[in-house]
Amino acid sequence: MSGARPFDSAPLSVTALSRIIAGLLSVSDLHDVWITGELVDLRASGGHCYMELVDKDAGSGRVNARIKAIMWANIAPGIGAKFQRGTGQRLQSGLKVMVLGTVNYHPSFGISVVITDINPSYTLGEAERRRREILERLKADGVIDLNRSLQWPVPVLRIAVVSASGAAGYGDFVNQLYSTPRRIRFSVELFTAVMQGVRTAESCIAALDAIGRRVNEFDCVVMIRGGGSSSDLQSFDDYALAANVAQFPLPVIVGIGHERDTTVLDYVAAMRVKTPTAAAEWLIARAGECLDRLRQAAADILAAATDRMAGCNTQLSYCEGMLPTVARAAVQRSRATLDNARLSLAGVRASRIVPEQSRLGAAGDALKVASRAIVSRAMERLDASAGLLGALSPEATLRRGFSVTRTSDGHTITSAGEAAEGTVIVTTFADGEVTSTIINHQ
Amino acid sequence: MQKPEFTPVKDLTYTAAVAELDSILRTMQSDRCDIDLLAAYTRRATELIAECRSRLTTTDAELRAILADLTPEA
Repeated sequence: MSGARPFDSAPLSVTALSRIIAGLLSVSDLHDVWITGELVDLRASGGHCYMELVDKDAGSGRVNARIKAIMWANIAPGIGAKFQRGTGQRLQSGLKVMVLGTVNYHPSFGISVVITDINPSYTLGEAERRRREILERLKADGVIDLNRSLQWPVPVLRIAVVSASGAAGYGDFVNQLYSTPRRIRFSVELFTAVMQGVRTAESCIAALDAIGRRVNEFDCVVMIRGGGSSSDLQSFDDYALAANVAQFPLPVIVGIGHERDTTVLDYVAAMRVKTPTAAAEWLIARAGECLDRLRQAAADILAAATDRMAGCNTQLSYCEGMLPTVARAAVQRSRATLDNARLSLAGVRASRIVPEQSRLGAAGDALKVASRAIVSRAMERLDASAGLLGALSPEATLRRGFSVTRTSDGHTITSAGEAAEGTVIVTTFADGEVTSTIINHQ
Repeated sequence: MQKPEFTPVKDLTYTAAVAELDSILRTMQSDRCDIDLLAAYTRRATELIAECRSRLTTTDAELRAILADLTPEA
Protein backbone atom coordinates (compact mmCIF):
# COMPACT_ATOMS: atom_id res chain seq x y z
CA MET A 1 0.00 0.00 0.00
CA SER A 2 1.55 3.32 -1.05
CA GLY A 3 1.98 5.79 1.71
CA ALA A 4 2.35 3.03 4.29
CA ARG A 5 4.89 3.73 6.93
CA PRO A 6 7.86 1.41 7.02
CA PHE A 7 7.41 -1.20 9.76
CA ASP A 8 10.56 -0.18 11.54
CA SER A 9 8.87 3.05 12.47
CA ALA A 10 7.19 3.08 15.87
CA PRO A 11 4.08 0.74 15.78
CA LEU A 12 0.81 1.69 17.49
CA SER A 13 -0.51 -0.20 20.42
CA VAL A 14 -4.16 -1.27 20.26
CA THR A 15 -4.91 1.30 22.87
CA ALA A 16 -3.30 4.02 20.83
CA LEU A 17 -5.14 2.82 17.72
CA SER A 18 -8.39 2.80 19.61
CA ARG A 19 -7.80 6.26 20.79
CA ILE A 20 -7.24 7.40 17.17
CA ILE A 21 -10.42 5.60 16.04
CA ALA A 22 -12.40 7.12 18.88
CA GLY A 23 -11.14 10.51 17.92
CA LEU A 24 -12.02 9.99 14.26
CA LEU A 25 -15.58 8.90 15.20
CA SER A 26 -16.19 11.99 17.29
CA VAL A 27 -17.72 13.92 14.47
CA SER A 28 -21.08 15.65 14.31
CA ASP A 29 -22.22 13.38 11.44
CA LEU A 30 -22.28 10.46 13.87
CA HIS A 31 -23.71 12.46 16.73
CA ASP A 32 -27.46 12.35 17.44
CA VAL A 33 -28.52 10.83 14.12
CA TRP A 34 -31.83 9.07 13.37
CA ILE A 35 -31.18 5.48 12.34
CA THR A 36 -33.71 2.95 10.96
CA GLY A 37 -33.23 -0.80 11.06
CA GLU A 38 -34.62 -4.07 12.37
CA LEU A 39 -34.08 -4.75 16.00
CA VAL A 40 -32.51 -8.13 16.70
CA ASP A 41 -31.02 -9.95 19.69
CA LEU A 42 -32.50 -7.54 22.18
CA ARG A 43 -31.50 -8.51 25.70
CA ALA A 44 -31.34 -6.80 29.08
CA SER A 45 -28.39 -7.00 31.40
CA GLY A 46 -27.80 -5.01 34.57
CA GLY A 47 -30.61 -2.67 33.61
CA HIS A 48 -29.01 -1.81 30.27
CA CYS A 49 -30.48 -3.01 26.99
CA TYR A 50 -28.17 -4.51 24.39
CA MET A 51 -29.22 -5.21 20.84
CA GLU A 52 -28.21 -5.11 17.23
CA LEU A 53 -29.66 -3.02 14.47
CA VAL A 54 -29.65 -4.72 11.08
CA ASP A 55 -30.69 -4.08 7.51
CA LYS A 56 -32.06 -7.13 5.74
CA ASP A 57 -32.43 -7.74 2.06
CA ALA A 58 -36.14 -7.31 1.28
CA GLY A 59 -36.21 -10.40 -0.94
CA SER A 60 -33.88 -12.95 0.73
CA GLY A 61 -33.98 -11.64 4.28
CA ARG A 62 -30.17 -11.83 4.35
CA VAL A 63 -28.46 -9.34 6.66
CA ASN A 64 -26.73 -6.64 4.67
CA ALA A 65 -25.52 -4.50 7.55
CA ARG A 66 -25.36 -4.78 11.28
CA ILE A 67 -24.31 -2.60 14.19
CA LYS A 68 -24.37 -3.05 17.94
CA ALA A 69 -26.58 -0.71 19.93
CA ILE A 70 -27.16 -0.04 23.60
CA MET A 71 -29.64 1.77 25.80
CA TRP A 72 -28.28 2.70 29.19
CA ALA A 73 -30.28 1.78 32.23
CA ASN A 74 -31.14 5.41 33.03
CA ILE A 75 -33.11 5.92 29.83
CA ALA A 76 -34.05 2.38 28.71
CA PRO A 77 -37.37 2.25 30.69
CA GLY A 78 -38.41 5.67 29.38
CA ILE A 79 -37.74 4.66 25.78
CA GLY A 80 -39.55 1.36 26.26
CA ALA A 81 -42.58 3.12 27.72
CA LYS A 82 -42.67 5.69 24.96
CA PHE A 83 -42.49 2.95 22.35
CA GLN A 84 -45.26 0.96 23.98
CA ARG A 85 -47.49 4.01 24.24
CA GLY A 86 -46.98 4.80 20.59
CA THR A 87 -47.26 1.34 19.07
CA GLY A 88 -49.29 -0.67 21.53
CA GLN A 89 -46.57 -3.27 21.79
CA ARG A 90 -43.37 -3.86 23.67
CA LEU A 91 -40.02 -3.07 22.20
CA GLN A 92 -38.74 -6.42 21.04
CA SER A 93 -36.63 -8.25 18.51
CA GLY A 94 -37.98 -8.37 14.98
CA LEU A 95 -39.40 -4.87 14.97
CA LYS A 96 -38.38 -2.21 12.57
CA VAL A 97 -37.42 0.85 14.57
CA MET A 98 -36.22 4.40 14.15
CA VAL A 99 -33.87 5.42 16.95
CA LEU A 100 -31.85 8.49 17.78
CA GLY A 101 -28.28 7.50 18.51
CA THR A 102 -24.67 8.54 18.74
CA VAL A 103 -21.91 6.33 17.43
CA ASN A 104 -19.52 5.51 20.19
CA TYR A 105 -16.28 3.62 20.19
CA HIS A 106 -15.11 1.64 23.20
CA PRO A 107 -11.67 0.10 23.29
CA SER A 108 -13.02 -3.24 24.57
CA PHE A 109 -16.45 -3.41 22.95
CA GLY A 110 -15.83 -1.71 19.68
CA ILE A 111 -18.31 0.42 17.79
CA SER A 112 -21.84 0.70 19.08
CA VAL A 113 -24.73 3.12 18.87
CA VAL A 114 -25.84 4.63 22.13
CA ILE A 115 -29.58 5.13 21.77
CA THR A 116 -31.21 8.16 23.39
CA ASP A 117 -34.64 8.33 21.77
CA ILE A 118 -37.08 6.39 19.59
CA ASN A 119 -39.75 7.25 17.02
CA PRO A 120 -42.66 4.86 17.53
CA SER A 121 -44.70 6.07 14.59
CA TYR A 122 -42.04 4.79 12.23
CA THR A 123 -42.63 1.28 13.53
CA LEU A 124 -46.35 1.62 13.17
CA GLY A 125 -45.45 2.28 9.60
CA GLU A 126 -47.38 2.25 6.42
CA ALA A 127 -48.63 -1.32 6.88
CA GLU A 128 -49.97 -0.60 10.31
CA ARG A 129 -51.66 2.56 9.17
CA ARG A 130 -53.36 0.62 6.42
CA ARG A 131 -54.35 -2.08 8.93
CA ARG A 132 -55.96 0.52 11.16
CA GLU A 133 -57.80 2.02 8.24
CA ILE A 134 -59.23 -1.39 7.36
CA LEU A 135 -60.31 -1.97 10.94
CA GLU A 136 -61.95 1.45 11.13
CA ARG A 137 -63.85 0.68 7.96
CA LEU A 138 -64.98 -2.72 9.30
CA LYS A 139 -66.12 -1.01 12.48
CA ALA A 140 -68.04 1.59 10.49
CA ASP A 141 -69.66 -1.24 8.51
CA GLY A 142 -70.79 -2.75 11.84
CA VAL A 143 -69.26 -6.13 11.02
CA ILE A 144 -66.00 -6.08 12.95
CA ASP A 145 -67.35 -8.04 15.95
CA LEU A 146 -69.69 -10.42 14.13
CA ASN A 147 -67.41 -13.45 13.95
CA ARG A 148 -66.12 -12.92 17.47
CA SER A 149 -69.70 -12.78 18.76
CA LEU A 150 -70.64 -16.16 17.27
CA GLN A 151 -71.66 -18.92 19.62
CA TRP A 152 -69.14 -21.75 19.42
CA PRO A 153 -70.74 -25.10 18.65
CA VAL A 154 -70.25 -27.80 21.26
CA PRO A 155 -68.20 -29.80 20.59
CA VAL A 156 -65.99 -28.33 17.85
CA LEU A 157 -65.00 -31.44 15.90
CA ARG A 158 -65.68 -30.88 12.17
CA ILE A 159 -63.01 -28.55 10.94
CA ALA A 160 -62.64 -26.84 7.56
CA VAL A 161 -59.04 -25.81 7.01
CA VAL A 162 -57.96 -23.01 4.70
CA SER A 163 -54.29 -23.53 3.94
CA ALA A 164 -51.85 -24.08 1.15
CA SER A 165 -51.71 -27.72 0.10
CA GLY A 166 -48.60 -29.44 1.35
CA ALA A 167 -47.70 -26.50 3.56
CA ALA A 168 -45.68 -27.29 6.68
CA GLY A 169 -48.22 -25.41 8.80
CA TYR A 170 -51.07 -27.64 7.66
CA GLY A 171 -48.94 -30.73 8.39
CA ASP A 172 -48.17 -29.46 11.88
CA PHE A 173 -51.83 -28.80 12.48
CA VAL A 174 -53.02 -32.24 11.37
CA ASN A 175 -50.21 -34.04 13.20
CA GLN A 176 -50.98 -32.23 16.41
CA LEU A 177 -54.71 -32.78 16.05
CA TYR A 178 -54.44 -36.53 15.58
CA SER A 179 -51.73 -37.14 18.14
CA THR A 180 -54.05 -36.24 20.99
CA PRO A 181 -53.74 -38.80 23.78
CA ARG A 182 -57.44 -38.51 24.44
CA ARG A 183 -58.30 -39.94 21.01
CA ILE A 184 -60.76 -37.23 20.14
CA ARG A 185 -62.24 -37.90 16.72
CA PHE A 186 -61.75 -34.70 14.74
CA SER A 187 -62.65 -34.60 11.07
CA VAL A 188 -60.59 -32.26 8.93
CA GLU A 189 -61.19 -31.14 5.36
CA LEU A 190 -58.67 -28.97 3.55
CA PHE A 191 -59.77 -26.12 1.30
CA THR A 192 -56.60 -25.12 -0.49
CA ALA A 193 -55.74 -21.49 -0.95
CA VAL A 194 -52.75 -19.44 -1.87
CA MET A 195 -51.35 -18.17 1.38
CA GLN A 196 -48.81 -15.63 0.15
CA GLY A 197 -48.41 -13.04 -2.56
CA VAL A 198 -50.89 -10.82 -4.29
CA ARG A 199 -53.50 -13.57 -4.89
CA THR A 200 -53.76 -14.41 -1.21
CA ALA A 201 -56.94 -12.48 -0.38
CA GLU A 202 -58.82 -13.52 -3.50
CA SER A 203 -57.83 -17.17 -3.03
CA CYS A 204 -58.75 -17.25 0.64
CA ILE A 205 -62.16 -15.68 -0.10
CA ALA A 206 -62.80 -18.38 -2.71
CA ALA A 207 -61.96 -21.07 -0.14
CA LEU A 208 -64.30 -19.45 2.43
CA ASP A 209 -67.06 -19.35 -0.20
CA ALA A 210 -66.58 -23.08 -0.85
CA ILE A 211 -66.89 -23.78 2.89
CA GLY A 212 -69.88 -21.45 3.15
CA ARG A 213 -71.78 -23.52 0.61
CA ARG A 214 -71.49 -26.54 2.94
CA VAL A 215 -71.74 -24.61 6.15
CA ASN A 216 -73.81 -27.30 7.91
CA GLU A 217 -71.01 -29.83 7.56
CA PHE A 218 -68.53 -27.93 9.71
CA ASP A 219 -68.17 -26.54 13.21
CA CYS A 220 -65.44 -24.03 12.50
CA VAL A 221 -62.86 -22.74 10.02
CA VAL A 222 -59.14 -22.76 10.64
CA MET A 223 -56.94 -20.48 8.52
CA ILE A 224 -53.29 -21.42 8.87
CA ARG A 225 -49.95 -21.14 7.19
CA GLY A 226 -46.38 -21.64 8.23
CA GLY A 227 -44.13 -18.92 9.61
CA GLY A 228 -42.94 -17.24 6.44
CA SER A 229 -41.47 -13.79 6.29
CA SER A 230 -43.33 -10.99 7.95
CA SER A 231 -43.65 -9.00 4.77
CA ASP A 232 -45.85 -11.76 3.38
CA LEU A 233 -48.35 -11.03 6.11
CA GLN A 234 -49.27 -7.78 4.46
CA SER A 235 -51.27 -9.67 1.86
CA PHE A 236 -53.66 -10.69 4.65
CA ASP A 237 -54.23 -7.06 5.56
CA ASP A 238 -57.00 -6.89 3.02
CA TYR A 239 -60.38 -5.28 3.50
CA ALA A 240 -62.38 -7.77 1.41
CA LEU A 241 -60.82 -10.79 3.10
CA ALA A 242 -61.28 -9.28 6.58
CA ALA A 243 -64.93 -8.46 5.81
CA ASN A 244 -65.47 -12.06 4.65
CA VAL A 245 -63.94 -13.50 7.79
CA ALA A 246 -65.86 -11.08 10.03
CA GLN A 247 -69.18 -12.06 8.48
CA PHE A 248 -68.51 -15.76 8.10
CA PRO A 249 -71.30 -17.83 9.69
CA LEU A 250 -68.87 -20.22 11.40
CA PRO A 251 -66.28 -19.19 13.98
CA VAL A 252 -62.90 -18.67 12.31
CA ILE A 253 -59.60 -19.51 13.98
CA VAL A 254 -56.69 -17.58 12.48
CA GLY A 255 -53.22 -19.02 12.89
CA ILE A 256 -51.18 -16.95 10.50
CA GLY A 257 -47.62 -16.05 11.28
CA HIS A 258 -46.21 -15.73 14.76
CA GLU A 259 -46.66 -13.68 17.87
CA ARG A 260 -45.18 -10.46 16.59
CA ASP A 261 -46.93 -10.68 13.25
CA THR A 262 -50.47 -9.44 13.45
CA THR A 263 -52.87 -8.88 10.60
CA VAL A 264 -56.35 -7.42 10.50
CA LEU A 265 -57.67 -11.00 10.48
CA ASP A 266 -56.41 -11.37 14.03
CA TYR A 267 -58.82 -8.60 15.07
CA VAL A 268 -61.94 -9.94 13.37
CA ALA A 269 -61.60 -13.72 13.72
CA ALA A 270 -63.39 -15.48 16.56
CA MET A 271 -60.05 -16.85 17.73
CA ARG A 272 -56.46 -15.98 17.00
CA VAL A 273 -53.58 -18.28 17.70
CA LYS A 274 -49.87 -17.89 17.09
CA THR A 275 -49.21 -21.06 15.11
CA PRO A 276 -50.99 -23.94 13.37
CA THR A 277 -49.88 -26.16 16.25
CA ALA A 278 -51.47 -23.76 18.70
CA ALA A 279 -54.70 -23.91 16.70
CA ALA A 280 -54.73 -27.69 17.04
CA GLU A 281 -53.92 -27.46 20.74
CA TRP A 282 -56.72 -25.00 21.27
CA LEU A 283 -59.21 -27.32 19.54
CA ILE A 284 -57.95 -30.29 21.56
CA ALA A 285 -58.26 -28.36 24.81
CA ARG A 286 -61.77 -27.29 23.92
CA ALA A 287 -62.84 -30.84 23.06
CA GLY A 288 -61.08 -31.99 26.22
CA GLU A 289 -63.23 -29.58 28.22
CA CYS A 290 -66.31 -31.16 26.67
CA LEU A 291 -65.03 -34.60 27.66
CA ASP A 292 -64.30 -33.34 31.15
CA ARG A 293 -67.78 -31.90 31.43
CA LEU A 294 -69.21 -35.25 30.33
CA ARG A 295 -67.09 -37.07 32.88
CA GLN A 296 -68.08 -34.59 35.54
CA ALA A 297 -71.72 -35.11 34.60
CA ALA A 298 -71.20 -38.87 34.85
CA ALA A 299 -69.61 -38.47 38.26
CA ASP A 300 -72.44 -36.16 39.35
CA ILE A 301 -75.03 -38.65 38.12
CA LEU A 302 -73.30 -41.45 39.96
CA ALA A 303 -73.08 -39.37 43.12
CA ALA A 304 -76.72 -38.27 42.89
CA ALA A 305 -77.89 -41.82 42.18
CA THR A 306 -75.80 -43.25 44.98
CA ASP A 307 -77.05 -40.60 47.35
CA ARG A 308 -80.67 -41.22 46.40
CA MET A 309 -80.21 -44.97 46.76
CA ALA A 310 -78.65 -44.53 50.17
CA GLY A 311 -81.55 -42.31 51.18
CA CYS A 312 -84.05 -44.94 49.98
CA ASN A 313 -82.18 -47.62 51.87
CA THR A 314 -82.22 -45.62 55.08
CA GLN A 315 -85.93 -44.92 54.74
CA LEU A 316 -86.73 -48.59 54.08
CA SER A 317 -84.61 -49.75 57.00
CA TYR A 318 -86.39 -47.27 59.21
CA CYS A 319 -89.79 -48.54 58.09
CA GLU A 320 -88.65 -52.12 58.46
CA GLY A 321 -87.46 -51.49 62.00
CA MET A 322 -90.64 -49.68 62.90
CA LEU A 323 -93.13 -52.19 61.53
CA PRO A 324 -93.01 -54.87 64.32
CA THR A 325 -93.07 -52.25 67.06
CA VAL A 326 -95.95 -50.45 65.48
CA ALA A 327 -97.97 -53.63 65.04
CA ARG A 328 -97.40 -54.74 68.64
CA ALA A 329 -98.16 -51.27 69.89
CA ALA A 330 -101.44 -51.29 67.98
CA VAL A 331 -102.43 -54.57 69.64
CA GLN A 332 -101.46 -53.26 73.05
CA ARG A 333 -103.39 -50.09 72.48
CA SER A 334 -106.48 -52.07 71.56
CA ARG A 335 -106.07 -54.23 74.64
CA ALA A 336 -105.80 -51.15 76.79
CA THR A 337 -108.92 -49.77 75.16
CA LEU A 338 -110.74 -53.00 76.02
CA ASP A 339 -109.55 -52.85 79.62
CA ASN A 340 -110.69 -49.28 79.86
CA ALA A 341 -114.06 -50.27 78.47
CA ARG A 342 -114.36 -53.09 81.03
CA LEU A 343 -113.50 -50.73 83.86
CA SER A 344 -115.94 -48.20 82.57
CA LEU A 345 -118.65 -50.86 82.46
CA ALA A 346 -117.91 -51.86 86.07
CA GLY A 347 -118.15 -48.23 86.99
CA VAL A 348 -121.48 -47.94 85.26
CA ARG A 349 -122.79 -50.91 87.29
CA ALA A 350 -121.66 -49.35 90.55
CA SER A 351 -122.83 -45.89 89.76
CA ARG A 352 -126.09 -46.57 88.02
CA ILE A 353 -127.50 -50.08 88.61
CA VAL A 354 -126.85 -50.45 92.33
CA PRO A 355 -128.52 -47.17 93.29
CA GLU A 356 -131.33 -48.02 90.98
CA GLN A 357 -131.71 -51.39 92.64
CA SER A 358 -131.79 -49.92 96.11
CA ARG A 359 -134.25 -47.36 94.93
CA LEU A 360 -136.41 -50.17 93.61
CA GLY A 361 -136.10 -52.03 96.93
CA ALA A 362 -137.18 -48.98 98.90
CA ALA A 363 -140.07 -48.48 96.57
CA GLY A 364 -141.15 -52.11 97.18
CA ASP A 365 -141.11 -51.63 100.93
CA ALA A 366 -143.02 -48.42 100.71
CA LEU A 367 -145.50 -50.14 98.47
CA LYS A 368 -146.00 -52.91 101.04
CA VAL A 369 -146.60 -50.46 103.89
CA ALA A 370 -148.83 -48.29 101.84
CA SER A 371 -150.93 -51.15 100.58
CA ARG A 372 -151.33 -52.59 104.02
CA ALA A 373 -152.48 -49.24 105.34
CA ILE A 374 -154.92 -48.89 102.53
CA VAL A 375 -156.37 -52.36 103.23
CA SER A 376 -156.65 -51.78 106.93
CA ARG A 377 -158.24 -48.43 106.38
CA ALA A 378 -160.74 -50.04 104.07
CA MET A 379 -161.41 -52.76 106.61
CA GLU A 380 -162.06 -50.20 109.26
CA ARG A 381 -164.39 -48.40 106.98
CA LEU A 382 -166.15 -51.66 106.20
CA ASP A 383 -166.47 -52.47 109.91
CA ALA A 384 -167.91 -49.08 110.56
CA SER A 385 -170.36 -49.48 107.73
CA ALA A 386 -171.34 -52.89 108.97
CA GLY A 387 -172.13 -51.41 112.43
CA LEU A 388 -174.22 -48.69 110.91
CA LEU A 389 -175.86 -51.16 108.64
CA GLY A 390 -176.79 -53.32 111.67
CA ALA A 391 -178.35 -50.35 113.43
CA LEU A 392 -180.39 -49.37 110.42
CA SER A 393 -181.47 -52.88 109.34
CA PRO A 394 -185.28 -53.85 109.23
CA GLU A 395 -184.59 -56.64 111.67
CA ALA A 396 -183.44 -54.09 114.24
CA THR A 397 -186.55 -52.04 113.59
CA LEU A 398 -188.72 -55.10 113.86
CA ARG A 399 -187.05 -55.98 117.13
CA ARG A 400 -187.85 -52.60 118.39
CA GLY A 401 -191.53 -53.53 117.88
CA PHE A 402 -192.24 -52.36 114.41
CA SER A 403 -193.69 -54.57 111.68
CA VAL A 404 -193.73 -54.54 107.91
CA THR A 405 -196.87 -55.11 105.92
CA ARG A 406 -196.69 -56.32 102.34
CA THR A 407 -199.14 -57.54 99.81
CA SER A 408 -199.12 -61.19 99.05
CA ASP A 409 -197.02 -60.46 96.09
CA GLY A 410 -194.34 -58.84 98.30
CA HIS A 411 -195.24 -55.15 97.71
CA THR A 412 -194.79 -53.14 100.85
CA ILE A 413 -197.81 -51.27 102.02
CA THR A 414 -196.87 -47.96 103.62
CA SER A 415 -200.32 -46.25 103.71
CA ALA A 416 -203.86 -47.23 104.53
CA GLY A 417 -204.93 -46.25 101.08
CA GLU A 418 -203.02 -49.06 99.57
CA ALA A 419 -204.99 -51.65 101.49
CA ALA A 420 -208.43 -52.16 100.07
CA GLU A 421 -210.99 -54.38 101.75
CA GLY A 422 -210.50 -58.05 101.09
CA THR A 423 -206.81 -57.67 100.33
CA VAL A 424 -204.63 -60.36 101.72
CA ILE A 425 -201.72 -58.87 103.51
CA VAL A 426 -198.63 -60.38 105.08
CA THR A 427 -197.35 -58.79 108.24
CA THR A 428 -193.81 -59.45 109.23
CA PHE A 429 -192.76 -59.25 112.92
CA ALA A 430 -189.43 -59.79 114.47
CA ASP A 431 -190.30 -63.33 115.31
CA GLY A 432 -192.35 -64.31 112.23
CA GLU A 433 -195.12 -63.49 109.78
CA VAL A 434 -198.96 -63.55 109.86
CA THR A 435 -201.29 -63.49 106.91
CA SER A 436 -204.54 -61.51 107.27
CA THR A 437 -207.43 -60.30 105.20
CA ILE A 438 -208.53 -56.76 105.49
CA ILE A 439 -212.14 -56.70 106.61
CA ASN A 440 -212.66 -53.16 107.31
CA HIS A 441 -211.26 -50.14 105.80
CA GLN A 442 -211.96 -46.77 107.23
CA MET B 1 -115.74 -55.85 57.81
CA GLN B 2 -114.38 -54.15 54.70
CA LYS B 3 -111.01 -55.50 53.67
CA PRO B 4 -108.73 -52.86 52.16
CA GLU B 5 -107.92 -53.50 48.51
CA PHE B 6 -104.22 -53.44 47.72
CA THR B 7 -102.70 -52.88 44.29
CA PRO B 8 -100.24 -55.66 43.48
CA VAL B 9 -96.83 -54.37 44.55
CA LYS B 10 -95.34 -55.09 41.12
CA ASP B 11 -97.71 -52.54 39.61
CA LEU B 12 -96.66 -49.76 41.96
CA THR B 13 -93.93 -47.22 41.33
CA TYR B 14 -91.23 -47.07 43.95
CA THR B 15 -92.48 -43.69 45.11
CA ALA B 16 -96.06 -44.93 45.36
CA ALA B 17 -94.92 -48.03 47.26
CA VAL B 18 -92.96 -45.97 49.78
CA ALA B 19 -95.83 -43.51 50.14
CA GLU B 20 -98.21 -46.40 50.84
CA LEU B 21 -95.76 -47.91 53.30
CA ASP B 22 -95.54 -44.60 55.08
CA SER B 23 -99.30 -44.22 55.16
CA ILE B 24 -99.77 -47.76 56.53
CA LEU B 25 -97.22 -47.12 59.28
CA ARG B 26 -98.96 -43.91 60.21
CA THR B 27 -102.35 -45.62 60.24
CA MET B 28 -100.96 -48.37 62.45
CA GLN B 29 -99.59 -45.74 64.84
CA SER B 30 -102.88 -43.96 65.09
CA ASP B 31 -106.05 -44.93 66.89
CA ARG B 32 -107.80 -45.31 63.57
CA CYS B 33 -106.13 -48.66 63.16
CA ASP B 34 -108.62 -51.48 62.94
CA ILE B 35 -107.31 -54.50 64.82
CA ASP B 36 -109.05 -56.77 62.32
CA LEU B 37 -106.86 -55.22 59.61
CA LEU B 38 -103.64 -55.16 61.63
CA ALA B 39 -102.37 -58.46 60.31
CA ALA B 40 -103.29 -57.48 56.76
CA TYR B 41 -101.54 -54.13 57.17
CA THR B 42 -98.44 -55.74 58.61
CA ARG B 43 -98.32 -58.29 55.80
CA ARG B 44 -98.81 -55.54 53.22
CA ALA B 45 -96.10 -53.39 54.78
CA THR B 46 -93.67 -56.31 54.80
CA GLU B 47 -94.49 -56.99 51.17
CA LEU B 48 -93.91 -53.36 50.24
CA ILE B 49 -90.57 -53.26 52.04
CA ALA B 50 -89.41 -56.43 50.33
CA GLU B 51 -90.46 -55.10 46.92
CA CYS B 52 -88.78 -51.71 47.45
CA ARG B 53 -85.61 -53.35 48.66
CA SER B 54 -85.48 -55.67 45.70
CA ARG B 55 -85.99 -52.74 43.33
CA LEU B 56 -83.20 -50.79 45.01
CA THR B 57 -80.87 -53.73 44.60
CA THR B 58 -81.79 -54.13 40.94
CA THR B 59 -81.46 -50.42 40.26
CA ASP B 60 -78.10 -50.32 41.99
CA ALA B 61 -76.80 -53.14 39.82
CA GLU B 62 -78.16 -51.46 36.68
CA LEU B 63 -76.60 -48.13 37.65
CA ARG B 64 -73.24 -49.75 38.12
CA ALA B 65 -73.52 -51.45 34.74
CA ILE B 66 -74.55 -48.23 32.97
CA LEU B 67 -71.98 -46.00 34.64
CA ALA B 68 -69.18 -48.49 34.13
CA ASP B 69 -69.11 -47.21 30.51
CA LEU B 70 -68.54 -43.69 31.71
CA THR B 71 -65.51 -44.23 33.90
CA PRO B 72 -62.45 -42.43 32.49
CA GLU B 73 -60.58 -44.48 29.92
CA ALA B 74 -57.12 -45.64 30.82
